[in-house]
Amino acid sequence: MKRALLRLLAVIPVLLALSTIVFLAMRWIPGSPATSLAAGGNMNATAEEFTQSEERIRVALGLDQPLWKQYLTFLGDLVTLDFGTSFYGSNSVLKLVGEALPATIELTVAAMLIAILIGVVTGVIAAWKKDTVVDGAIRVGATVSFSLPWFALGILGVVVFGVVLGWLPIIGRLPNSLGYHPTTGFVLLDAILQNRPELVWPWVKHLILPATTLALSMAGFITRIVRTAVLEVLGDDFVRTARMKGLSESAVLRHHVLRNAALPIVTVLGLQFGALLGGSLITEMVFAYPGVGNLLVSAVHQRDYPIVQGAALAVAFLFVMVNVVVDLLYLVLDPRLRKVTA
Amino acid sequence: MTAVSDVSKTGEPAANGRVAGDEVLRVRDLHVTFDVRAGRLPAVAGVDLTLRRGEVLALVGESGSGKSALSMALVGLNRGPRTTITGSVEFNGMDLVRASDRELRKVRGNGIAVVFQDALAALNPLHRAGAQVAEMITTHRAVGKDAAWNRAIELFTDVGMADPHRAVRAYPHELSGGMRQRVMIALGLANNPDVLIADEPTTALDVTIQAQVLEVLKELQREHHTSIILITHDLGVVAEVADRIAVMYAGRIVEYGTRDQVLFDPQHPYTRGLLDVVPSLTGPVTGRLSAIPGSAVTGVERPPGCAFAPRCRLAGPECEQPVELRQRGGEQGHLDACTKEDHR
Repeated sequence: MKRALLRLLAVIPVLLALSTIVFLAMRWIPGSPATSLAAGGNMNATAEEFTQSEERIRVALGLDQPLWKQYLTFLGDLVTLDFGTSFYGSNSVLKLVGEALPATIELTVAAMLIAILIGVVTGVIAAWKKDTVVDGAIRVGATVSFSLPWFALGILGVVVFGVVLGWLPIIGRLPNSLGYHPTTGFVLLDAILQNRPELVWPWVKHLILPATTLALSMAGFITRIVRTAVLEVLGDDFVRTARMKGLSESAVLRHHVLRNAALPIVTVLGLQFGALLGGSLITEMVFAYPGVGNLLVSAVHQRDYPIVQGAALAVAFLFVMVNVVVDLLYLVLDPRLRKVTA
Repeated sequence: MTAVSDVSKTGEPAANGRVAGDEVLRVRDLHVTFDVRAGRLPAVAGVDLTLRRGEVLALVGESGSGKSALSMALVGLNRGPRTTITGSVEFNGMDLVRASDRELRKVRGNGIAVVFQDALAALNPLHRAGAQVAEMITTHRAVGKDAAWNRAIELFTDVGMADPHRAVRAYPHELSGGMRQRVMIALGLANNPDVLIADEPTTALDVTIQAQVLEVLKELQREHHTSIILITHDLGVVAEVADRIAVMYAGRIVEYGTRDQVLFDPQHPYTRGLLDVVPSLTGPVTGRLSAIPGSAVTGVERPPGCAFAPRCRLAGPECEQPVELRQRGGEQGHLDACTKEDHR
């Protein structure tokens, strides 16, 4: 318990460093939100009027302040959990990111589950059938899968299943006609809470293409990790002991091999979750999926600093939390690690 | 010497339904060949062996002599695409060499169990000690989890665990080396097997713990009349617990007899060499420990005759002829595989 708490506290400096980097990066890249806001205001303004309105906006947004002052204000707001408001319109960052985050989590988790399912099954089979044709085929498939860039895979999926075959929707998360009003923002949860089972199938259909696209690129990687991990455990003495007990091969695999192989696999999965999160941000663009990725990219284009900062923080927080969970999972999986700090 | 009758009372079923007579396991012309990069490695090259009820048979030999390959082949634990096992292993009216994997699984852990040498590696690090023993019981007996768990506590008491109720809940890494080896022995005995194969059960332990573990083994064997195949290269252990000794060299048994016959009247030059190597506390201090010259044959190429001949001081041209294990110079029942008449 103490260990878990310490681990959670260690998240704070990570997030602080990250938000600082995002804060500085946004202000160093060329282009100012004041410029685009002023440009959007009055199309017939003269150059002088334009400069004046740009200056007014700069002052209003506090961008005329020296960088260190802006930074202190930003930090001060962060500490009080005030993430600010979008420069465009009056929506708070918390609301915009809060609405987009569940969609991204759904996509990432769905992709992760598909990738784990494919990766673990093929990895175990490859290890079990080591050096056979089956093993060879799986290894080639795995290499192809993680060598293909997922956006290429995504576009291929859109063309084949969305356009040519017309089986699956290629954009969005849910059709507008359904009139979905989020309670938690997680469709599956809301379908239960609001007793609207008709939401589930359209949601799944929208999720299949983007999630599978993401999952395929990662599944190959997981296959290779699982194969190696299982092969290593298969050579361990306790596996021979398990066979000596008269257990069937599948019982040996389930009770003795897999759980021992889970440790290195879980480590890699935790790290890969970050890559998957990054991948999902781009995949959201390909599929016009209303998640944090879409929000982030358009906010970067508009130089909407508060949104970029908030969204980046949210994604980082998610990543760090997943790794905290992975750390805690070790303790559940391996009794040898439990006594270290407890 | 144990009272051994060579008259087998086959065909007369005993009370427990097993074939009567005191032979528990009969190995005939067993060969175990591994496909390795360099060719085919004959790890066991024609072994005949009989194990009697309640006896401790020590398999003695250097590393690579084939004693582990032999014992693992008895229960098919080294079966695999690169292993060829031929010959026969008769147990309970079944030939374990020809038995299917499914049939073999019913024997493993039940009729024949193995105690492995390095208990830390041989026990699953993620399962509690008691659960590992209970799993062995529930695999072969239709008993509930609780009953199996209670039996594990009983077994832990039997093997002399200090605090069995705590030990069953412990993970292997939380136990000492001696305690872990006791878990391993408890595991071996869980289903009261007819045959227990103990593969170097004390090698990884301190000398004092070794003695305790051997004591436990001996006691349990007396109590349950379990036959034990004890694999070791430690002649001290052999002298301590063995009833009979089979000396292995290069995949063959080169000498076989009772403990006293083999230890006090060794026939084969290799056995003599092995015994000479053991430093004596009471003998004269010679300054150097003796050793058998050369190294054991482990490669794929084997001479057709006596495999020990290249290292043997007495070797002559007759040693290139194939040689079989039979009664020669020793007492009744004391067999060896040396053709030299003048080697004694």
